Formats: sequence, structure tokens, C-alpha cells
Amino acid sequence: MKPPGAQRSAMLLPILALLAAALANAHHLAWWCLPMLALATAWHVRAVLNGLPQPARTARIAFALFLTTGVLLSFRTLNGLAAGATLLVAMTAAKLFEARSRRDWYVICGATLFLLLAACLDRQELWRLPLYALCLWLSAASMRGLAGGAPLPAVTHLRESARQLAWALPLAILCFLFFPRLPGAFWSVAGDDEAITGLSEEMSPGRIARLAESDEPALRARFDGAPPPVAQRYWRGPVLHDFDGYTWRRHRGAGQRDGVAGAAGATLEYVGPAYHYSETLQPNTHGTVVALELSRPPADPYVAQSADYQLLARRPILQARSYELTAYPQAVDRAELSDAARQVDLALPPDRNPRARAFAQRLRAQSADDAAFVASVLAFLRDGGFVYTLEPQRLGRDSADELLFGTRQGFCGHYASAFVDLMRAAGIPARVVTGYQGGEWNPIGGYLLVRQKHAHAWAEVWLPGRGWQRTDPTAMVAPERLSRELLQFGDGFGSNATSLLGSRPWLTTAMQAWDALNSWWQDDVVGFNFARQLGLAERLGFGDRDWQTLAIALGAGLCAWLAWIAWSVRRLARVARPDAIGRAWRRIDKRLARAGLARADHEGVLAYCERLAAAHPAVAEGLRPLAHRYVQLRYGPPTTPAEQREFLRAARAYR
Amino acid sequence: MPGALRRRLAGRIERWARARQGPDTLPLQLQARRLYILPTRAGLAFALLLFIMLVAGLNYGNSLALFLTFTLAGFMLVGMHECQRTLRGLELAQAQAADCHAGDDGLVELRFVNASTLPRRALAARTPGLAPTAFELPRDGGATVQVKFHAPRRGRHRLGRIELSTTAPFGLFRCWTWLYLPLEAVVYPRPAGTRPLPVPSAGRLAQQAAAAAHGEDEWDGLRAYQSGDSPRAIAWKSWARGGPLLVAQYAGSGGSDYLLGFAGLESLDLEARLSQLAAWIAECARRDAACGLRLPAAQAPPARGAAHRAALLRQLALYGEGSA
Repeated sequence: MKPPGAQRSAMLLPILALLAAALANAHHLAWWCLPMLALATAWHVRAVLNGLPQPARTARIAFALFLTTGVLLSFRTLNGLAAGATLLVAMTAAKLFEARSRRDWYVICGATLFLLLAACLDRQELWRLPLYALCLWLSAASMRGLAGGAPLPAVTHLRESARQLAWALPLAILCFLFFPRLPGAFWSVAGDDEAITGLSEEMSPGRIARLAESDEPALRARFDGAPPPVAQRYWRGPVLHDFDGYTWRRHRGAGQRDGVAGAAGATLEYVGPAYHYSETLQPNTHGTVVALELSRPPADPYVAQSADYQLLARRPILQARSYELTAYPQAVDRAELSDAARQVDLALPPDRNPRARAFAQRLRAQSADDAAFVASVLAFLRDGGFVYTLEPQRLGRDSADELLFGTRQGFCGHYASAFVDLMRAAGIPARVVTGYQGGEWNPIGGYLLVRQKHAHAWAEVWLPGRGWQRTDPTAMVAPERLSRELLQFGDGFGSNATSLLGSRPWLTTAMQAWDALNSWWQDDVVGFNFARQLGLAERLGFGDRDWQTLAIALGAGLCAWLAWIAWSVRRLARVARPDAIGRAWRRIDKRLARAGLARADHEGVLAYCERLAAAHPAVAEGLRPLAHRYVQLRYGPPTTPAEQREFLRAARAYR
Repeated sequence: MPGALRRRLAGRIERWARARQGPDTLPLQLQARRLYILPTRAGLAFALLLFIMLVAGLNYGNSLALFLTFTLAGFMLVGMHECQRTLRGLELAQAQAADCHAGDDGLVELRFVNASTLPRRALAARTPGLAPTAFELPRDGGATVQVKFHAPRRGRHRLGRIELSTTAPFGLFRCWTWLYLPLEAVVYPRPAGTRPLPVPSAGRLAQQAAAAAHGEDEWDGLRAYQSGDSPRAIAWKSWARGGPLLVAQYAGSGGSDYLLGFAGLESLDLEARLSQLAAWIAECARRDAACGLRLPAAQAPPARGAAHRAALLRQLALYGEGSA
């Protein structure tokens, strides 16, 4: 079983590489895959150490079929990244039982690299980079062990492959920057049904509480100028219209995903100050490009604005994406509300919340107009002894009644829900807007970081003549939530980390630096695309923004790299040129001739030394050992290259 | 590719390389312009793998996958240079071809010197159609390598090309060079033939008889009778006692003198005759008998020793080709 041309330590390299690659894929492999690989590896190592024979052919085939069935049972398919990666790990584990020839080991190395590719395609977080690099290094080292020839220890392979990879790095960076990317895709894959934490497409009070504790980033925004004031940092996500008494949902039908782009945001007038910013959005499940209110749709054919001003992506957002956006906090919509839309935003489940309904109708009757009514409801929330908490009591069937007149405690979802309930009961079109509120300013990266725990819900009411108006009932209950300038990590809402961080400013700085690094990684490395390539080409002064300039830059860089590699590899091993000894002595001759001490043509080197000794004893003294060495090397018995090099060094140093 | 086309192409490439390189003289240092390099089968598979990775990376616009692909491509290219480095500057100090019998594989001895600060690994040398000899050269060191060559016919054999190759550092590329050394090996006739050794020459027999008569007992032992042994050397006494037919051997003289010629081989053609003579010389060597040659174009007095026999075989090898 012992692989040819490899010592035992070197034999471990491909196995370690395979384990590292499987580990990089651990998150989407079937649960049984890693233990099975560990068993196969243990068997293989034991078999090699004890010289056990490989299992019978039928047993191996049966094992492979068994594993394939396992993959099918786990995923119901062999297609897709997760199932494919699991299948690859399983088949490679099966291969370990019959790995004999060098060819088998090449196959295992190839599978390892494919697994690494699968991991790269699936996850691109910065913290995974060391694992990927380790896997690549081990794979490279194991390939060096497959060259044939006398076996070498693993350390040698590791050292030499590290050097080889380091030399490959400039090429990788060059190609990364200039190899023309595709603006689109050859084919698309169905998205994996994977749950990504974040906002969802529906809201039942109690749902956001869980998210509020997550420190995961939701988006990062880099503003051209100063960021907007804290009070304006409302990041608009899914807008919820339909309420069944428990859960708020997006409205199915009009105003959703498809066919809404044209009519929708067209009535918005973008007036007032503008904030231009570039945003990197983390993957989400709701398919909304969460953007600062109210942002113009980006110049991206896959993003459209809906009638309720959401920026909807035509494709699920499965990877972090960047958008160039401009927000107009004071944008207005003067269009009349259509009857259909009014119906949607006035609907309430029947027979629910009788007290709240009666309360709203009474208050509306006392108010001069809708705006005054909104103000008095807000005043009620501010002065009614309401408490903001992340751990509210459960609410029953009449949730608004219980909150407003019973428990009087809740978080943004509760208050937004109850507020919209009151508005609709009074005949004012209203809806719930979910998204994020606030954001942490990262001074190291110069961007605003919005985390999942900044998830928020507020309300919008439609006032005649003024259009949709944002109203944040939670701000009435807990004004500090809005006004606080979030400069440091942990915003104080039940986060245990806050007190810890507060006492250690260096930790805050370190975490900000780490986040800034992550942001750079996401924006400039993972998010590097065709458009940015063109931008880079332009910045480097190539003028035209097309792929030809990229190709020229790539070609030039490639030539330079190849020349550098040729030179470096050559330098790695110095080879003495034929008659280096003779040439070295001729240089000494020339030097002495310039000093007026030319050697005659007929004169031997040793005789010349003797002649010099008479007139210039000091010169002869210095020259004599060299001359003796020279004669020995040229005319004596064969010498080793090391001795020759020593002479060459001495001859060069001679002055 | 059909065999014929392949052979024609190979021949064409060989002629091109030969014309390009010119004859090689020793000592020879391998320069870059005579080194050829191509990916191996594994290298082609690796290139295909890289291509798939590139397409996948481009398709998904996945920066990390692309970076991985480009790093591996760089890794491969650096390895390509290292592969060529393994041969470049390598010095062939000496080369010597040993004589051999036709039909056997001859050995050519190559002395390589590695005057570089790095070892040269996974080297192999071979002549067309024969298994390569693998070797390694330590840094600042040398090695003598024996490479087999195929010698089908008797006579002077001009050594064809020797291919010196390496797959270091990772087996994805194979770099090689063709050495066209001005080496000649003398190929002896293939020892073959079933005719018995001829009768030993009279001179030696007479001496033996005399020695026996004078009781100068240099008697050394007995050996089994073979057809062609002189009846006078047979140990009749032992045979009379019911033992096997044995032949007396004498120390110092070590058997008989044989003067080998074409006598009795007239029915064979020249090559078969020479083969029979070679077989007889081998038989003499086994018996440690002195042998000589008496051929129309070559004469040699009987003598013992490997050197003498080699000289005889050379004469046979070059029979009809002019001077030895």
C-alpha cells in the first residue's frame, strides 16, 4: 500500500491535505461524512504501517455504492455544491482503500483541490482564509511528493512548496486584478435552501428579539461625505402589509417582486440633501436590498424599486454584494393612494382588539385631522408608562389590547404592530416597515457598520397631501435607542459584552480593526468584479475602459512575472560556468595590468608571483595563495565544485 | 495516432533535434536551448482541472475561487521552470560504452557532475526502447550511471541517442534532452551453436603427454567428460572402477590449447560460424583453456585471460569490417 517514491512522513501529506479540505467543507457536508473519512484515513494509515492488503474488489465497489446511497439519502440529489462535496469526500475516502499507484495519489490530490474549490465557492469569510491556505499548501506539498525519484521527508516538500507558492503569488494577484471577469454568468445554479440569519419576510412580535442579539454584520456603508445624522439612519428592508392577528407579512400580489419597477417609484420626487454611499450587503433571505431611506434604485438591472419603495433583487442575495446608492431622506411622493392600495393598508383581522379599536376611534374623533391623531397616539405611547424590553411577556389573541392596556412592555415589533393597528382602526392607511436602525461608525475603516442586532421595525402612515410618513413608535417609548451615537460595540440592549468591552478600549479598537479588515476583504477582495477591474484599469492610466486594456495589462505583467521566475529559479542554484576558474584569473590579470603590473604572455602564474615578489613584495604576498590555488585547480587532480566556488569567491574579493 | 504516423513524426523530430544540436563533445554542459519540456499525462489532467476551476470561478464571479485557480496556475509554472532547472547546467563528464554480445543489452557508463548548489532529483537516462535508469545527483556531487542500450547486430555499434529526462519537482512536467554522443561499442557475435569444441592443438597435447610421461604430476583434479576431450586425458582407471567418464585436468597448464577456426563449419554461413566461434570462446573461458584464432583474415596465438578473450571476440566482432 505504500505510495511509491514517498517516505512515510511524505505519505501523510496528501491525507492531511484531504482532511483539511474536508474540514473546509464541514459546514455543508452530510453529518456522517467527516467521521467516515476519519475512519477511512485511520484504516489507510494502519494498513500502510502494517502492510495490510487492500480489500477485495467487490467489497470496494459495494462500499462506494453504499456511500453513494448515503449521499442520495442525505440530500435527495447528487447535484448542488453540498451534495457534490459530500459525494467527492465519500468517493475519495473509498479511494483511500485502494490507493496504490502514483496515479491514485494524483486523483486524490485532484479531489482535494476540487473540495477546496467547493469551499471557496461556498464560503468566503476572512477567518476561513488560513484554513484554505493550509489546505492549498498541503496539497502543493503532496504533489511535490509525487514526482518520483528518491523519497524525501515531508518537511522538505513543505518548505519547497511554500517557496513555490510564494513565487506563484504575484501571478495570482496579477491575474486576480487583470484577468477579465465576466459581467454575467454562463449558467446559474439553484440557490441552496439555507437559512441565513437576518430580517425575514414576515414579523410576529417576538421574532426579532432573537435577532437583536446577533452581532453579525448586516451591511456596511461607506459615505462619500459625512454619514447622515443618527436620527436619519433608517435602513429600509421588507415592507409588511398583511396582518392576520399574529403575523405581519408582505402583501402577496400587487406591489411585489415582478412587474413593479416601472409604475412604482416613479412618483417619488428626490429632493433635499443627498447621501451618496456604497453599500456592501451581506446575504439575506428576503431578497431586499436594504438601503438607507429613501434610496434611488442602483444602476443594476437586477434590482428594481417596488411601489412601497423597497429595492427588490430579482435574484436571491446569496453572496455579499456591493451597490452604489444615493439616499434622499426628504424625498416625497405626492401621488394619490390608489383604492386598491388603500384597501390593503386599511385591512385588519375582524373581531380582534376591541379596546384598541374603540380607543383609536375615540381619539380620532377628538383630533382635528390625521396628523393630529398620529401625534396624540405617539404622545400616548410616550407618556403611558410603556417599557422597552427584549424579553416581553407573550401576547395572546388580542395582541394590541394586551400590549396597550395590559403588559405595557415590548420591543420595536410590538409597538410598530400595535401602532399600525391603531392607525388602521382609525381609518388611516398604515404599514409596518422592517429594516435596521442606526449603525456603528468604524473609524478605522471609515464606514458605518449595521449589525443584525440593529434590526428594527417602524411604521408608515399615509397622510393626505404629504404621502407616506415614517413614524417610529419605539422612539416614543425608548428615545435613547434612537438618539444614542453608536460609537462602540454593544448598544446596551441586554448585551453582556458591553460591560466587558467598555472597560477595555483596546479590545474595542481591536474588534473595530478586525471588522475593518473584514470589510476590506468583503468589498475589495471578495466583491472585486468586472466593473472594479475596469475602474482599476482606468485608475492605472490605461485610458479606455474595456477588456482589451485589461488583456494588455495582463500580458505585460505575465511576461514580467515569467522573466522574474526564470531568473529566480536560475538564481536558486548557481551553476559554475565552464572555465570559470580561467576567467576569474583573467580578471585578476586585468586588475593588475591596470596597476601597471602586467603579466607577460609567456609567464606562468607562479613565475609571475616570484617576479613580483622582488619588486612588489606586498602585492606578491597577497597574490601567492590565490596563484597556488589556481594552479592546483587548473592542473591538479579533480576538485569538487565547492572548492572551485571558494576560489571564485576569493578571486572576486581580490583587490 | 496510428503507429506509422507516430514513428514518422518521431523520426522527423529526432532529425530536427540532431541537426539543431550538432554532435556532442565531452565534457558537455546542458544548455537551455537543447532542453525540451512538455506536460506529462498528470500535467494535462491538472491543466484540465485548472480550466474547470477557472470556468467555475468566472461563472460565479467568485473571487476566492479565481484566486485559488491563479495561485495553482502560478504554482504549475514555477514548477515548470524548476523542472527545466533540474537539467540545465548538468555536466556530462565522461561516457564509455562497454562491449557486449549481439542480442544482449549493452551498458554505457555516463559520469554526471552536478556543480550546482541544489541537488538534482528524479533523473532518468535511457536509450530508445529500453527501460530507463533512475538516478539522483546530490548537490556538488556526481554519479556514474549505467544505461542499457540495445545491440542487435555484430560489429561496430554507433550509439544512438540517449535521452536524459526528469519529472522533478512534482511530476506534472517532463523535461528532457537528447544526447548524441560519438560513442562506439564493439558488439561481439551472439554466442550460439551446438558444435563440439574442435580437437586441441598438437603443441599443447604433446607437452601434456610429456609431462605425464615424466611423472611431473601437476594433476589438479577431474572433471566431467565432454565431447571433444582427448581420449588420452580420460581417467580410464576411474571409469574402469565403474565411475563416470572423467577427464584429468592439470594445474598450470589448465587444460588444453584450442586454435579455433572455420574448419568443420563450412556448412554454416559467416554469421553462424562467428557465433559458433564465440560460443567456443565462452566454452574455453568456462574450462579456463587457452584459445586462439586461425581465420583467413585474423590470427591470434592461443592464450588465457579475459583480456585476451575480449581481444578475440573483438576480432570476431569486426570480422570482415577491416581493422580491429
